[in-house]
Amino acid sequence: MTAGNNMKIDPVKNCPFNRENSPFADVVLSSRARLARNLDGFPFVNRASLSDCREVASLVKHICDDIQEKEDLEWVNLDELDNLTTELFVERHLVSSTLAHASHPRAIAIGPELSRSVMINEEDHIRIQSLRPGLQLEEARKDVDTLDLRIEEIIAYAFDEDLGFLTACPTNVGTGARFSIMLHLPALRIIKDLQLVRNACEGMSLAIRGYQGEGSKAIADLYQVSNQVTLGYTEEQLCSVIANDFLPSVIKWEREGRKTILENQFSKLEDQTHRSLGLLKNARMLKLHEAMQCLGNIRLGVCTGLLENVDLPTINKLFIEIHPSHLRWEFGRDIPDDKLASFRSELIREKLQKC
Amino acid sequence: MTKCDLCTNPAEFHDVQITNGVHKTTNLCRKHAEEAGFNLGKIDVSIVLEMDSLKMKESPVALTCPDCNYTIAQYKETSLLGCPTCYKTFANQLKHIISNVQDAHIHHIGRAPAESKSINRHLEVRRLLKQLDQAVNHEKYEQAADIRDKIRELHDCGEQHED
Ligand SMILES: [Zn+2]
Ligand SMILES: [Zn+2]
Repeated sequence: MTAGNNMKIDPVKNCPFNRENSPFADVVLSSRARLARNLDGFPFVNRASLSDCREVASLVKHICDDIQEKEDLEWVNLDELDNLTTELFVERHLVSSTLAHASHPRAIAIGPELSRSVMINEEDHIRIQSLRPGLQLEEARKDVDTLDLRIEEIIAYAFDEDLGFLTACPTNVGTGARFSIMLHLPALRIIKDLQLVRNACEGMSLAIRGYQGEGSKAIADLYQVSNQVTLGYTEEQLCSVIANDFLPSVIKWEREGRKTILENQFSKLEDQTHRSLGLLKNARMLKLHEAMQCLGNIRLGVCTGLLENVDLPTINKLFIEIHPSHLRWEFGRDIPDDKLASFRSELIREKLQKC
Repeated sequence: MTKCDLCTNPAEFHDVQITNGVHKTTNLCRKHAEEAGFNLGKIDVSIVLEMDSLKMKESPVALTCPDCNYTIAQYKETSLLGCPTCYKTFANQLKHIISNVQDAHIHHIGRAPAESKSINRHLEVRRLLKQLDQAVNHEKYEQAADIRDKIRELHDCGEQHED
């Protein structure tokens, strides 16, 4: 309990989506960069003893203390963190669900606004992450790179001249870098052109997934696209494939799709937008999936100019804030599962008051 | 028919290792068994099994990582390697796996880390301590004395730097 209460950071107030007018916000919700690193001289986490894990954690904590002046990181031992905050970090994708529910010594170091973080003793000893709103993949890459350089000044990483950074899973070997963007593609779904995007991904060795990541279905027309290959390219190239080769056409297709729908299927779009808004503003119990889908629909309404008095950051934040642990953080940690739907609708009504 | 752990060919060689009560089975085709360091010779499976039952302890031993005792069978189960040295130990098998998951790329061209400083010494000492342990266990006392000297040297130079 203690760590959660002593934390400087309020995960609800510190949200990178608070910013307005992020680049290409109509299609790109967020950009994320992640580096997987391991310390030289230690077994990987899945093979490490408890004392190895403890030693790795204490070395990395030592490093974080050392660079404290340059990188404001707050150290949190996950063993000491209360369940609610842990689950909240999972909903924020700051901590993986596997790491949250493991029992070995593990930690997270988080920066202000929760945009930068370091996971300790996940699949790899160190996972450096940065999340930024809108299309800022190159900036996110620089965030993790800066942090990576500071850490490597102090400690030796497991590295091989030929294979690059050595990771527990060969799918991450080389750069250890995973770059991803979260896209909102409602028009391409409506005009049934999503296959275009899938083909583009396949041609560029990119993976496309739903909102929750690995194996998840698309929800609210949100898609995550990331590099599948980590070896044989520079970090800049991997970033550039997504930001410069893949994304411009996808943004163009989605925007053209929205224009087509406005011109040819106006009544349908108008109906979908106001039907969803009506549900969000009037329902007294909203399930997560239903609320997400309706939020996705009104997001399209905002982007096509049908809805005013609600901005994109509000909707983007709601996608996150209506998850169970975020609701409990806001309304009380003891809320039982069957009451969540009521609190969810209450929060949404409040945020959409002006529309 | 059992398939090879590393490809779709039928497995010709089978090995079961029991560590701490956990069975690890290895099934490999001839090519991959040879690559994995199984000493096949000309004997075929039935003879190996017979020798096993005669408790002659001549059965081939699967390649294990010297730093973490990992086997390729354990990799197959978890899709995770045991330690950085595993990449060297299983280099032959991993070549195919890496090329498969990395779109036929096998060389890193991204950033390389700069020479790091302070905690490196800590890791070096740690590695030497492990070697010292092994040397003592194998009663290689001369080697152990050498390692001890190296540790002392590292320790001294560390203290000078921190002054
Ligand atoms: Zn084979
Ligand atoms: Zn190993």
